Amino acid sequence: MSARVYLVDDHRLFLAGVRAELSEEFTIVGSGYDVDTAIEEIRGFDPDVVLVDVHMPDGGGIAVVEGVLGTNPDVKFLALSVSDQAEDVIAMIRAGARGYVTKTIEPADLANAVRRIHAGDAVFSPRLAGFVLDAFAGAMPAEVDPELDQLTAREKDVLRLIARGFAYKQVARKLNISIKTVETHVSSVLRKLQLSNRHELARWASKRRIV
Amino acid sequence: MAGVAGGLADTLGVSDAFVRAAFITLSTVWGLGLLVYLGLWLMELDRIEDRVVEPVLPHQAYGLAIGFAGLMLLLGSVGWWPSNALVLTVGALAFGTAALTDRNMPGPLAALVDPSVDRPGRLRMLIGVGLLIGGLAVFSANVGPIYEIGPVLLAVALTGVGILVAFGPWVTRLARDLGTERRERIRQEERAEMAAHLHDSVLQTLALIQRSDDPLRMSMLARHQESELRDWLYGNLPLDGVDLLSTALKDAAKRIEADHQVPIDVVVVGDHTLDDSTRALLGAASEAMVNAAKHSGAERVSLYFEADDDELVVYVTDQGKGFDSGEVAGDRQGISRSIKARVQRAGGVAAVDSQLGEGTEVTLRLPVVAS
Repeated sequence: MSARVYLVDDHRLFLAGVRAELSEEFTIVGSGYDVDTAIEEIRGFDPDVVLVDVHMPDGGGIAVVEGVLGTNPDVKFLALSVSDQAEDVIAMIRAGARGYVTKTIEPADLANAVRRIHAGDAVFSPRLAGFVLDAFAGAMPAEVDPELDQLTAREKDVLRLIARGFAYKQVARKLNISIKTVETHVSSVLRKLQLSNRHELARWASKRRIV
Repeated sequence: MAGVAGGLADTLGVSDAFVRAAFITLSTVWGLGLLVYLGLWLMELDRIEDRVVEPVLPHQAYGLAIGFAGLMLLLGSVGWWPSNALVLTVGALAFGTAALTDRNMPGPLAALVDPSVDRPGRLRMLIGVGLLIGGLAVFSANVGPIYEIGPVLLAVALTGVGILVAFGPWVTRLARDLGTERRERIRQEERAEMAAHLHDSVLQTLALIQRSDDPLRMSMLARHQESELRDWLYGNLPLDGVDLLSTALKDAAKRIEADHQVPIDVVVVGDHTLDDSTRALLGAASEAMVNAAKHSGAERVSLYFEADDDELVVYVTDQGKGFDSGEVAGDRQGISRSIKARVQRAGGVAAVDSQLGEGTEVTLRLPVVAS
């Protein structure tokens, strides 16, 4: 069964475009232009996947994600934005979104991302992979939880390949692992990103590493 | 002077000219006014710009005036009093001046001829002039004989003071208006600068997009404008004039993207300052990007740059048609040789990995030299 998708964006023109691109493969159950309407309708429709814009008035995408996950924890969010401000994107992921893609994404790639999110995987665009590598780089804080505060060498390899523009399938082939394993690594990075309390994650954007 | 009178005036809701007059009058009583002034100054009761001042009600103003008179009487009755002549003279002069210099009044001459000045205002003006003349008369009567200043000289001086008091406020108001006008002009210049920038960039691009019927070109224009506008709005300014390799790589990508109409996705992790050896890396990366944009046939090109403590790595990746390095000669070979030579001269290594039908990846590595 195809995924039931809900769209949230305060730019109606963009919303109409995405709707047209996705309606062939997915069931678009509805769309909202503002935070409050969106939260209410998503609670009512209980869709599988919500595409949510990061920047909107009244709290933005984060308010939608937080507002919905409290009552409907099974709804999966894909953040979609023109923003490439790292702190905004990281904040969305930490609020509970399972992926982030830029609005310049090709329609086929967007459909692919929705499919992946629906299947329970994480979706990392090259840019998000770069943000995450940057966030987890640098000196470790004094008290570290290696489980959460550090990426494994393999996870870094996967992220670097994604950042270089390779699709999951190509990443798998380059590392001689299965696509499933790539997905596992990415999901594990997502979990670390959401749960880690590395203080760099909160303020890393203001501190650029200069070697 | 230090904004105390203005601050107090705003707080009480009366004209600061009167507050100043009260301070001056109070100062004649053994400098009491000065002490109060200093005290308030230390408490930093500053005038706040743009604060909404509630208009003072007439009975409130009278209350304050009566309160002040009471205070003076109290000081007089407890024996804290230098002399009637001094206090009254200074008081009359100060309040007379205040009545004339009140910011809300149009000036003494205008008050007499300007029909828009209401009767209380005109009355106040007349009382002010009266107080001034009276004060000056008492002053000359008391001071003249004591110091035996020539009466003519005294008259000339007093006339000068009178003119100054009468027209001074008008002159200062003119100066203040000029200051306001200057601020407004600066604000307008900033607005004009922003309008000019938007005109040269955004509006120009929007016009081009409307005239273009090639979707690829349209999206390239939009993309280029987007990143330019973003840089202008939230741009990462170079740190203390130091150029960063990441910024230079992004700029190069933007330029090549515009020249060759192929989107280039740039992802940056970490950073390094731009110096001679990293400039070689930048040059090689730019060449690789041009190469990919021109020859690969790929829909987009990826640039990934990562800096850690030991090494800088740049990957330029495309998923275009690729080439077999054994067979393809000429232009492309030449370029990859030149990329390699460039990085090697700077102390790094370059590798070109390409497979027919799979795309091409150029890897550039440069060790970080501890400086």
